[in-house]
This record gives sequence, structure tokens and C-alpha cells, in this order.
Amino acid sequence: MTFDPSIFTDHLGDIGSGFLVTLGTWSSGVVLGLALGMLIAVAQVFGNRFVRAPLRVFIELIRSTPFLVQLFLVYYGGPSFGISLDPIPAGILGLGVYGSVYFAEIFRTGFESVARGQLEAADCLGITRLQCIWRIQVPQMLVMILPALVNMVTVLCKETAVLSIITIPELTMVLTGIGSETFAFVETLLMLCIGYLILVELCSRLGMLLETRVGRFMSRQPR
Amino acid sequence: MFDWPLLQQNAPLLLGALWVTLQVSIAALVFGFVIGIVVGSLRLSPIPLLRRLGGAYIFVFRGIPLLVQLLFIYYFLPRVGLPNVSPTVAAIIGLSLAAGAYIAEIMRGGFLAIPGGQLEAAGLLGMSDAQMLMRIRVPQAVRLTLPALVNEMILLIKASSLVSVVGLADLTRTAQNLAASDYMFVQDYLMLAGFYCLINVPLAYAASLLERSLKERTA
Amino acid sequence: MNSLLIPGGNVAAPTRETTRESLDEPMKTNGDQSPVLTLSQVGKSFGNLRVLKGIDLQVQRSEVVCLIGPSGSGKSTLLRSMAFLEEYDEGEIRIEGQLLGWQDTDKGRRRAPQSQINQVRRNVGMVFQQFNLWPHMTALGNVCEALRRVRKLSADEAKKRGMAMLDKVGLAHKAETYPAQLSGGQQQRVAIARALAMEPHIMLFDEPTSALDPELVGEVLQVMKTLAKEGMTMVVVTHEMGFAAQVADSVIFLDQGEIVARGTPQQIFHNAEQPRLQQFLQNYLDRNAFWQDAKA
Repeated sequence: MTFDPSIFTDHLGDIGSGFLVTLGTWSSGVVLGLALGMLIAVAQVFGNRFVRAPLRVFIELIRSTPFLVQLFLVYYGGPSFGISLDPIPAGILGLGVYGSVYFAEIFRTGFESVARGQLEAADCLGITRLQCIWRIQVPQMLVMILPALVNMVTVLCKETAVLSIITIPELTMVLTGIGSETFAFVETLLMLCIGYLILVELCSRLGMLLETRVGRFMSRQPR
Repeated sequence: MFDWPLLQQNAPLLLGALWVTLQVSIAALVFGFVIGIVVGSLRLSPIPLLRRLGGAYIFVFRGIPLLVQLLFIYYFLPRVGLPNVSPTVAAIIGLSLAAGAYIAEIMRGGFLAIPGGQLEAAGLLGMSDAQMLMRIRVPQAVRLTLPALVNEMILLIKASSLVSVVGLADLTRTAQNLAASDYMFVQDYLMLAGFYCLINVPLAYAASLLERSLKERTA
Repeated sequence: MNSLLIPGGNVAAPTRETTRESLDEPMKTNGDQSPVLTLSQVGKSFGNLRVLKGIDLQVQRSEVVCLIGPSGSGKSTLLRSMAFLEEYDEGEIRIEGQLLGWQDTDKGRRRAPQSQINQVRRNVGMVFQQFNLWPHMTALGNVCEALRRVRKLSADEAKKRGMAMLDKVGLAHKAETYPAQLSGGQQQRVAIARALAMEPHIMLFDEPTSALDPELVGEVLQVMKTLAKEGMTMVVVTHEMGFAAQVADSVIFLDQGEIVARGTPQQIFHNAEQPRLQQFLQNYLDRNAFWQDAKA
């Protein structure tokens, strides 16, 4: 197996833009997923059963179907509902929706982990529901759910590879394209593997750093 | 919006493809389970080098997107002198390797939950390491991790939607082909989603039942 | 009638500070003679179980009332109802004349909106058995949180008042410490400071020393005694009969959701007439009377 580095140096521009597209869709998908997930979790924890039941069905549906199928529904099915999206917005929407249900489940366990008494204390002092969520529940549950959140963020990083199937020019699409152009499939795919490993590893390292930061005050939990 | 005659015409085709999806997923679960036990045991080995090896396996196969793994295997096998591997075999190899990494982590948790005294007792009775693994550790670990293994099956069924990249006509690929010819994207893809739910919703329910009964037994 | 008792939100906010500062002077709206807390025929059920039955109770300004009784007697439920942490389902609880938690509509009684509940109980401070401090905030952060978010004080003002409150419970030097690094007694004192910072007209204590190691009980009781001496209106659910005997103006004995006996500490502890009360006190004495074993 001979290795010719010119395969990569010749396409440095394409690879760079593919990397940026991967980063862009990933981070936008994560932000959208976190926001939607928080909304779903709050609605599930504080909503009545008319809110909770349809959400439950939605969560089950998303969790039971492959990401690729959801992506097809958004991208190819969207126009039938009057939502014609370009590949990149469709991909971000797909990633966000897919991630949101998993984020929501993580947030929900987080909400349930904060002792009831703490909320009663806040209630007695006149602190509102919303203030209570942001000031008391979210900071505390972050410590607990951070590992799960970081894991989900890396999952979404890996799912961005699937976006190549709806022709988003991200890293996988760019490198397989170079592969078919030069017939150096194994080399380009190896490069791709290493690229994703570095991305995922960086992300989880960053997560661990964050965990020690956030967890400092919780050395010993009262209760 | 829905075209019922077309639906009735397409459904049997998807049903046939569902069988392909199931075959590939079940095969991957079985092989992945074997890999998982080996790698999971490596992770708990007293020898640091073996522990590293197990860790590296998990790092690599969990860190790379499955789609990229499948592509790599598809193009890599001919390079190492296996030019005529069928798409089915390539798909099963790809899924199994990835499943092995996840199942290894599950089994490691299961192994760790077994009280150490049991193994000491087995050792004193003269059992070999292999005997201990197969007779004492694996049966208990499987019982403890059954809910997680069922969830892994769900993940595998979903992951198998990517095997079309190596040319296998699974559920997703078949629906794609149908949609490309009849342009009923919403209908075809909703039906596709329905087929996945048909398998995965009961599996998810079974996993939660198993989890509950496990909790009751251990509580 | 209802609208008179529950003032709209527009008059609520500015009056709070001024009413408190003029506490020593006779108040025009309530008058010094009117009770801070009035319960009439309060009842509460969990499913088929009636845990509170027709409770009548008045707490006057600066009065200290102790609720005693066996576990399961409903005393904690009663206290929690006074802050509407439990929804009582019969009767009325009024705080300085305002109905707590409910509003009357054409279709019967409905839960009042949260803003209205908060408005009514803004003068109620609550201290819990489990402290319920927020572990991600320092002692000072715990005390200042509501001052900042609810009273909308500036950071400086909140800090000033927060430090004063911590100083009052003897913990100014622990201001920057997180709850996890405080002893149980210290945590409970921070919790008291947190409630006091809101300048309540009445303080509710739900078994404030029950979760503490015996050697830490004293410091918390000391803070409560000081409060009582300063004229704070207090309702205390407690197992500390010594505290009740020394500090309470009246003691109420609850059993099976009913008030069985009420009176001065002298009447309750020394001239108990009711058999159930006698039995309760005898059990208490037996449990604590290690010196009698030595004699026997």
C-alpha cells in the first residue's frame, strides 16, 4: 500500500471547506437539539397530560426510527408540506430534531434528580417556576447530566457523516469524492477515520474538563 | 396525499426488505456479542497491555461514524485479497465490529457487577479462567445486561439503515428505490418509518419490562 | 368579599417594605389585635385518609405556638398547609386576613394563580427539617437569591442584608462556604437566615432539629429562642419538649389529625387531662429518662 500525500495536499481547499461544513452543521444541530430538548423536557416535567401524551409519542417515534429515515422525511418529504429546504438547513433541522429527544430524556432525568425540598424552599420564598428552573434546577442537574450530554454531542458529531447521503458537502462527502476521483479509497477513508477520531476525542476531552470545572462545588452532596 | 393502491402494492416489497434488515441486524448482534465478550474481558484483564488493547478497540470503533466504517470495510477487503465479498457479508462485518465495541462496554459493566467472591470460590475449586468466563461470568452478566442488550438490538436495527452504502437492498434502500420511481416521498418514507417502529417499539417496550423485572429481583 | 381580601398586584409591591419598617406602630389595615394567621375548619385528605380534621387555630402577633404530637398525627401536614405546600381541601387559612391558596369562583373553589399565592404568603418564612439549601450556591448566595430575584434588590443591597442575616445566626464568617462544607446545624442556621432575609411576619419551622446530630441541636434552638425574644411570630413543629416548655406561649397537641389539647406549656406538660396526651408525654419521658433507669 503506497501512500501519496499529494492526494490531500492537492485538495486542501476542499477538505478545509468540508471540515467547516461538518463543524457548522454539527454545532448548529447541537444548539437546535439542546434548545428543543430543553423545551420538550420542561413541557414533560411541568405540562399536563394533554401536553405530555403527544410528546411521548413523538419521542418514541424519533427513537424508533433511523436518523437517515428522518433525514429523508425532512429533505424529500418536506416539499409536500410546503417546506422546501436546501440540503444544509434540512440537515441541521434533522440533526436538531433527532438530538432533541435524546437531550430531552437527559434533561428530564436531570430535573427529577433535584430534591423536591429545594423547590419547596424556593416556592416559599416567592421564586417563580422559571427562575427556579434556571437558577436552581439547571445548574445542579448540569453536573449530573454533563457526561450524558457530552456523549450525545459526540453521537451527533458522528451522525453528521450521514448528511453526505443528502448531498451535503461535509467531510465524508468531500473525502469519498476525492477517493473516487483518485481511486485512493483506502487512504482517503483512513484519513477520514482519523479526522473523526480526533474530533470526537477533542469533544469528550473538553467535556471532561468542563465536568471537573462544574463539579467542583459538589464535592459532597447534602441530603 | 395518500395513494392507497400504491401503498398496498409497495408494502409487500418493504416487508421482504424488512427480512434483510432483520437478518443483518441479528447476525451483527450475535457476532458483536462474541466480540463484546472478548473485548469486555480484555478491558478487565490484569495485564495492562491487554487492557490497552481492549480500550483501543472501543475507542476506534465507537469514535468513527458507522457510515465511514462501512465504506472503509467495503473498499478495504478487496485490498487485502478478498475481492468478491458479497454486500451482505461486508454489511455484517461492519455492523458486528461496531456493535462489538458497544457490547464490550455493556459486558464490562455486567462483569463488574458480579461479586468477586464468586470468582475466588470458582478459582479455589480449580476452574480455569476460560471455564470461569463461560460458566460463571457470562451467564450472570447476560442476565444483568439483558435490557441493555435489547436496546443494543434496537440501535443495530436503526444503524443497519446505512448498509445500503455497500449495496445491500435493506429496508431503507428499498424504500428509497420505490420513492425514486413513484415520487411519493412522504408516503413511502412514512411507511418506511412505520416498518422500523413495528420492530423497535415492541423491542423498546420489552427492554423497559426487562429492566423493571431486573430492578425488582435485585432490589 | 373576595376581592377585598385579596388586593390586586398593583398595590402589592411597594407596600411591603413600608409595612415591615413600621411594624412597631399599630398597623392600619390589620391592627395589632388581629391575628397573623387564622385557620378555620381546615381539613385535608390523601385519598380516603383524612389527615387533618376541622382544625381551628389563631396565631397572634409575636406569639410562639408549638405543635406537638406523635408521628403521623398530621402536624407537619398542618404546618405545610400554612405555606400552601400542601393543598388543604376544606376550610380556610388566612394570613393577615388574606385567603391562602384558593379563590372562590362561580364554579366553586379553584386554586388561585401562583402569583396570587406568592402574594399572600410573601410574609411567611419556612424552615424545613432537611434544610433544603441549594447546594450549588454559597451560604450568602442562598440568602441573597430571593432578595435579588424576588425583591429585585441590587447586588450590593442584597449582599449587605444577606451578610446582616448571616451575622444574626452567627455565620457571617461562613458566607462564602458551600452547604456541603457546613455542619447540619450550620446549614439549618443558614436556612433560617435565608427565610429571615425576606422579613417575614411569621416563621414556620417544620421539625427544624430532627435531622441534626444531638450535639448540633442546641445552636439551632438558640437562634430560634433569640428570634422568639425579639418578638417574631412563630409556629414550630417540634419533638423538643424542653424548647416548647421554655419558649412557647401556647402548645397544641395533635393526634390523628385533630387538635386534642391546647393550652399554655404549664397546662399541657404539667396538668394534662386528656388520656392521649398523657400517653404521648409518658412515652416521651420513658424514651428520654435514662436517669430513672439508674435509680431502678
